[in-house]
Amino acid sequence: MNKTKRTGSFLATVAVSLALMATPLAAHHSFTAEYDASKLVTMKGTVIRLDWANPHARIYMSVTDEHGATANWAFEMGSPNVLARHGWNRNSLKPGDVITVTGYLAKDGSNMANARAVTMADGTKAFAGSSSPDAPQ
Amino acid sequence: MKTSVCFAWAASLLFAAAVLAQSDKGTITGSVKDPIGGAMAGVAVTATNVSTGAVIRATTSAQGVYSIADVLAGNYDIAAARPGVAAFSMKNVAVAAGKATRFDIELKEGTQLSSLGEDSLSVAEDQRRHHPPSGPTPHTDDGHPDFTGLWWSPRVIDPGKPQFLPAAAEVSRKRIEDNRKDSPQAHCLPSALTRIGPIYEIIQSKLFLGLVSDDDSPGFRQFFIDGRSHPKDPDPQWYGHSIGHWEGDTLVVDRVNFDERVWLDQDAHPHSDKLHVVERWHRPDLGHLESEVTVEDPGILAKPYTIKRVSDLAVGEELREFVCAEDNLDVEHLVGK
Repeated sequence: MNKTKRTGSFLATVAVSLALMATPLAAHHSFTAEYDASKLVTMKGTVIRLDWANPHARIYMSVTDEHGATANWAFEMGSPNVLARHGWNRNSLKPGDVITVTGYLAKDGSNMANARAVTMADGTKAFAGSSSPDAPQ
Repeated sequence: MKTSVCFAWAASLLFAAAVLAQSDKGTITGSVKDPIGGAMAGVAVTATNVSTGAVIRATTSAQGVYSIADVLAGNYDIAAARPGVAAFSMKNVAVAAGKATRFDIELKEGTQLSSLGEDSLSVAEDQRRHHPPSGPTPHTDDGHPDFTGLWWSPRVIDPGKPQFLPAAAEVSRKRIEDNRKDSPQAHCLPSALTRIGPIYEIIQSKLFLGLVSDDDSPGFRQFFIDGRSHPKDPDPQWYGHSIGHWEGDTLVVDRVNFDERVWLDQDAHPHSDKLHVVERWHRPDLGHLESEVTVEDPGILAKPYTIKRVSDLAVGEELREFVCAEDNLDVEHLVGK
């Protein structure tokens, strides 16, 4: 074994403000380039399909508005990699599921939004059980 | 949920009022909500006494309620922070003696994408999954520290103090003003060269180290440690060309020869053909991997700067593939200024 010189570790200084110095998020693209933070919407609709693909999984959903007109919408989520860490998989939503999605509308006027929160058919919020900081580990 | 939040807050307020009667101290209490109105649990709230500088901390409950008791009457700066949303601060909040002051906080979205899976709750959940083991630094058969393992994206301990030259600062300003819509990463090209994604894996051999990321494209780097030099007249590369050597138990990696299109950092700074990056990797124990990244580039910087960061060993996690181009539907919807 080689003789190794132990260099100073700055690990001891790590304890300060971990939450504030956290890792930047895994954003594939800038939020502000695609979505409008001033246009928060909530839609209830029927799942057409869940596309489990990179760089973002998407929920395609049929939504009927208050005038009875039906349109298809796409809701963008994180990548399958991050969603899988929180317990989702390609079968987490099935065609015909009635869900409610809250998110921000696309800036370009497309029938798109990001999925900021999803309430499942049974009334539970997606990830609510696993990602609450106070949830049991 | 609303009813329970109101009840919890009302109960804390009544309790505080009873305790504070005839007291020279007060209480600050309130709720913290996320940008879409939901109660936020586990948020760190601090109150800093403007006169004395004393800092008092509290954390929101499962119902998103916090209470900071026994604070001397006076003015306080209130701050709240949670990864994934913009930091909140309000100066000079008056706290009266013998009273409970209600101060509700509504956090705003940050600049990053906050879709499900990348939102504040998900970030917090990822952080709760950090359980770096204790133990000695493992070594390879030839006696060097072994960095092999799956690692969480590093926390920045010290971001350094980069002093960008005016032209570089202007490029960054314009790119950010344009919503970073031309970010290489958004087009499934490599992300900023000082960035490492949520999880990365290091595979170490006697000849090289490989670094594989779970959210970059193509997402792998090589550090050659077989004694070779940088090639003469090489083709530019997005991740640069990296050679390393051991200085004691630290691997010093020399990184040059970058493609001009890669962005330097997440603040969208450019680089010049003079860019030279030196990385010092060090595993102080089983569960941690430190890296110091020194950026030298007289074409964009007044002087070099160094970023210090540390990763936790990602025990129980798995590196999944990330084929960015398979469904990158975003590009046509990206809007600039």
